[in-house]
Amino acid sequence: VRFVPDIVKQPDIMTPVEQPDTVDPVEQPEILRLSGARKTLLALLLAGLSALFLAGTVRGDDTWWPFGPWRMFATSTAPSGAVVAMRIEVMAGDDAIWRPAPLSVRSVGLTRAEVEGRVPRITADPAMLGTLARSHARLRPGDPPWRAVRVVREETVLADGSPTGEIRSTTVASWP
Amino acid sequence: VSGLLRAGTGWLFPAVPLARIAWLRRAVYAFVVLDVLVLHSSGYYHGWADPVWYQPLAMGRLLRLPAASVLLVEVLRWGSVAAAVLGLSGRLPRTAGWLTAVAWIWFQYVAFAYGKVDHDRADFVVALIMLPLAGAASVGDATSKTRSEAAGFVLRAVQLTAIATYFLSAWAKVRFGGWGWVNSATMVRAVVRRGSWLGDQMLHVPWTLHAFQWVLISLELLSPLIFVVGEYWRRRMVAGWYLFHLMTYAAIGIAFYPHLVMMLAFLPLEEYAAGWRARRRERRPAQPGGTEQAGVPPGSRLRLRATQR
Repeated sequence: VRFVPDIVKQPDIMTPVEQPDTVDPVEQPEILRLSGARKTLLALLLAGLSALFLAGTVRGDDTWWPFGPWRMFATSTAPSGAVVAMRIEVMAGDDAIWRPAPLSVRSVGLTRAEVEGRVPRITADPAMLGTLARSHARLRPGDPPWRAVRVVREETVLADGSPTGEIRSTTVASWP
Repeated sequence: VSGLLRAGTGWLFPAVPLARIAWLRRAVYAFVVLDVLVLHSSGYYHGWADPVWYQPLAMGRLLRLPAASVLLVEVLRWGSVAAAVLGLSGRLPRTAGWLTAVAWIWFQYVAFAYGKVDHDRADFVVALIMLPLAGAASVGDATSKTRSEAAGFVLRAVQLTAIATYFLSAWAKVRFGGWGWVNSATMVRAVVRRGSWLGDQMLHVPWTLHAFQWVLISLELLSPLIFVVGEYWRRRMVAGWYLFHLMTYAAIGIAFYPHLVMMLAFLPLEEYAAGWRARRRERRPAQPGGTEQAGVPPGSRLRLRATQR
C-alpha cells in the first residue's frame, strides 16, 4: 500500500473547521462566518418551520400544505373487505354505448383521486360531470365530444389480504 | 450551558465548502426544470379544469389565490423553468432562488388545490426557501475550498427536513392508521391500485407486503439516528434509503423524487465531483504518472482525494 496521509480517513464532513491564528493562511481555507444576530434569525426561521411541520403532523390535515401531515399510505386497510376505485364512462359523438374513458389530468384536467374525493358533491350536483366533458373538449379538440358522462364505483373484493377475483360495479352519478 | 449552546450553534452552522451547496443547488434547480416539464403535470392540467372543482387550501385562503386558469398555469410553469435556469447559471443566486421558490410552490399549490394533496413534496419547499440564504457559491470554489457557515446551515436545514419526513410520516401512520397500521392491508391496497410486476408477485405472497410495513415503520422511527452516527455510517444510511426508495418504486411505481434530491444534502458532493473529474483527467492522457492509483477501486478509502494528489 502506498503512503496514505491520515487526512484521507474520511473526516466528518459536517464538522466545523477550527482556524487557529498560528497556521499559515495559505494552508487553511477561508471561512465565511455569520454574525450572531444573523445566526439567531436563521435559527428562529428553522424553529418556526419545524413548529409548523410538527403542528401539522399532530393536528393538521391536507389543507395545511406544505405543513400538513406526511400521511403517505398512512391509512389502514382491513385485510378482508374491498378496495374501491372510481372510473368514468362516456357516450361520445354518435355512439350510443357507455364506454370507459380515461379519468386523468390529460383527458379531463383532473386526476382520478380528485374526482373520487368529490363523489358526495357529484351525486348532489351531477352537472359537475358536464364540466368534465367541456374540459375534455378543450384538452382534446380532435376527439369526438362527450355528450354523456357517468361515474362508476368499482370494488375489488379482498379476503385475507388478497383479491378474490370478485369485482362489483355500481353507477354513482350520471350527466345529463 | 454556554458550552452546550456553542456546541449546538456549531452543529447548526458548520462551515462547509461552498462548492457543496453549489452542487446541491444545481441538483435542486435541475430537478425543478425536470419536475414542472415532465414529472408532475397535474397542476398544469388543472388550468383546464372548471373552477367548480377548486378547493382552496389554507395557504390559498390566506393569500387569496384564485382558481387555476390556462394563463396562470402557463406563467407558473415557464416562470419556474426560467427562474431555475437562471439559478443553474449561478447568476443572481438570491433573486433566482426566491423566484424559483415562489413559482414552484405556487405551481404545486395549483396541483394540490383540487382535492388531492401529494405527500412527497412538502420537504422540497424548505430546500427552495433555504437555498437563496446561502448566497453566492460556485462549483469552482472546490479549488479555493472556501467554507461558509450559511451554506452549512442550509445543508443542515435540508437534512433535518428530509429526515423529518421519515420520522413524522411514521407519526402520521400511527395517528391516522392507528398502531394496527403495521398489520393492516395498506400495501395490498397500494399494489391493487397501482400494481407492477414485482408488486403483483408480492401480492401472491401476502406476508412479504405485511413484513414490508414493519420494516418501513421501524426504519422511519430510527431515521434520526443518522445525525449521531459517524461519516462512514452516514453515507451508508443514505445509500440504504436510496435502495429502499428503489424497491418502493419497483413494487408500487411510486418514487418521492423531490425527497431523493433532498437526501443529497448528506453527501460531500464536491468531493465526488472532484474525484470524478480527476478520474476523467487520468483516463484521457495516457501518461505513466497519471495512473498511479489505477489499481485502487473507486470509492475506496485508500483512494486519495483529488485535491490532495
